[in-house]
Amino acid sequence: MKKIQRSATDIIPRGYMWIGLILLFLFSVLPYVYLVTTSFSNQVEINAGHLFPQHPTLSNYRQLFSPKDSYALELIQAMRNSLEASILTTIIALIFGSMAAYAFARIKFPFRMTGLFAILSMQVLPTVSIVVPLYMMFRNGFGIPIPFTHYSIQLTGPLLNTPWALIISYASGTIPYVVWMVTGYFSAAPKELEEAAYIDGCGLWGTMIRIILPLSLPGLAATFIFSVLNNFDEFMFANAFTSTYASKTVPLFIAELVGKHSLPWGLMCAAGVVATIPFVILSMICYRWIVTGVTAGAVKG
Amino acid sequence: MRKTSKQERKKWYFAYMLLIPTAVFLLAIFIYPIFQSLYWSFLHYDLLDGSPIKFVGFKNYIQILTDGQFWYSLWNAIWFTLFTCTMETILGFFCALLLNQNFRGRTLFRASIIIPWAILTMVNGLLWDTMLQPGSNGGAIQIVLHALHLLPQNSNPVWLATVTGSVFFAGIADIWKMTPFMTLLMLAGLQPISGEMYEAAMIDGAGFWKKIWLITIPQLKPAIIVAVVLRIMGAFRVYDILTEFTGSDTTSVTYLTFNNAFRYFYLGKASAMAWFSTLFIIGIIIYYIRILKKNMEEA
Repeated sequence: MKKIQRSATDIIPRGYMWIGLILLFLFSVLPYVYLVTTSFSNQVEINAGHLFPQHPTLSNYRQLFSPKDSYALELIQAMRNSLEASILTTIIALIFGSMAAYAFARIKFPFRMTGLFAILSMQVLPTVSIVVPLYMMFRNGFGIPIPFTHYSIQLTGPLLNTPWALIISYASGTIPYVVWMVTGYFSAAPKELEEAAYIDGCGLWGTMIRIILPLSLPGLAATFIFSVLNNFDEFMFANAFTSTYASKTVPLFIAELVGKHSLPWGLMCAAGVVATIPFVILSMICYRWIVTGVTAGAVKG
Repeated sequence: MRKTSKQERKKWYFAYMLLIPTAVFLLAIFIYPIFQSLYWSFLHYDLLDGSPIKFVGFKNYIQILTDGQFWYSLWNAIWFTLFTCTMETILGFFCALLLNQNFRGRTLFRASIIIPWAILTMVNGLLWDTMLQPGSNGGAIQIVLHALHLLPQNSNPVWLATVTGSVFFAGIADIWKMTPFMTLLMLAGLQPISGEMYEAAMIDGAGFWKKIWLITIPQLKPAIIVAVVLRIMGAFRVYDILTEFTGSDTTSVTYLTFNNAFRYFYLGKASAMAWFSTLFIIGIIIYYIRILKKNMEEA
């Protein structure tokens, strides 16, 4: 067992530190534990006000996954929709964003700072200001209008209730985020390697793909995980653009459970556990990567 | 001389080429819609009643600004933002200090604080909604408060019945979920602070609070500012968690805007509201970008 070295940065006295840590641990973990225990309680015990089930039961999960009710099918469909939209968005945003990030990080060109800050500012504008125009665009489908006529060349059909509506709207926030993060990772890669590769005749594309991308892989992975989690959590666009069972996402599914007012708390908690367990586990495993994904760009600025 | 400039220009073209996909996408999906909604905010544009779309000047703006509902929802959003951001900053700061120390099991503690953050916002809302139920239905918080005798046995307040209650408890749920985010940002900001500074302060006889006030906070200031501004912008557009706690759209200006657009289909009015809050946020962004620029120049 290795001895933990104390250092001068430990400014909180040991006793207070442990009290604080235990409070912090309870504060972070207890509500989630309550969600899990409630999901194993039957309605009688919940009504009686028991914090922990005296007779744990799987009945909520059985009801959630019973083929009789539509819950299971809806939840699985919602999971699939959410995963599809958040992963595809992230992939598209990573491809577009890394290209832009390479230009910003590695090439000095006119209007570089202006462009970078214009993209950064998009990340922070309220999404509610684009949700109405996007709704109309998705309702009509995308097209290129022919000037001076009422006609247009229709590129797509209506996109409401399709994953594309979600992917396009999610990407409007994800691309600026990716540009911001990845520009930071690309700038951190050593310049000498790039110059050496360029002299060896790698060309501009070659240098980018063979030298800079592999060096930044951990950063790209962190960005990937963080933005998938973020998009999975998105609610407003999903609420505006999807209304059919086939197209709903997990946050909408959960919101509608609560909205039904019959108050099946046990069942709702079971759904909550099923919808979050993958992410709780994923984020515990990928803890380090997520931390880089959250902090790198934000703190460096 | 000529050759370098030619090479330079080749690089510029390459850079612009790389920027095209992002630029086209953001122009089409972000810039164009934002200006379209600016245009709509001057129109009478009602999808449901079939009335003709016509230009009405500032009528939408006058209407929302003379309407008590809008100011009430704006005030609720500002109150929510101030409440959550203050608490998250203070709690996040002390959590970051705690987790920055050396102790056994640090990784476990650091990972455990991620749990609230990893939970979907809607599940977070569901969870707090469950816990805040009145006693007869077994909400955990009332049971605990009764057991600790902090709440008289016979009182079972219905916390989520009022707008103020909903906003306050949605704030608590938000604090629970987002404090880890603040902690992580500040923890990263604490890394470069070396022990030598604290040692020097200790020799001068500085206690705990003096060390924090004279060393930690000044050193951490850039990270704190960035984190706070990020959270302010996130908190101001709160919408999702409130939909679970309440049916009242005056709990946040985003909620009111959304309902005007997608429940009543007053597109002109909703656009005016959206633009009003956009202008509000732009003020904060300008401040934010100035700080970022300063940080970049110093780096």
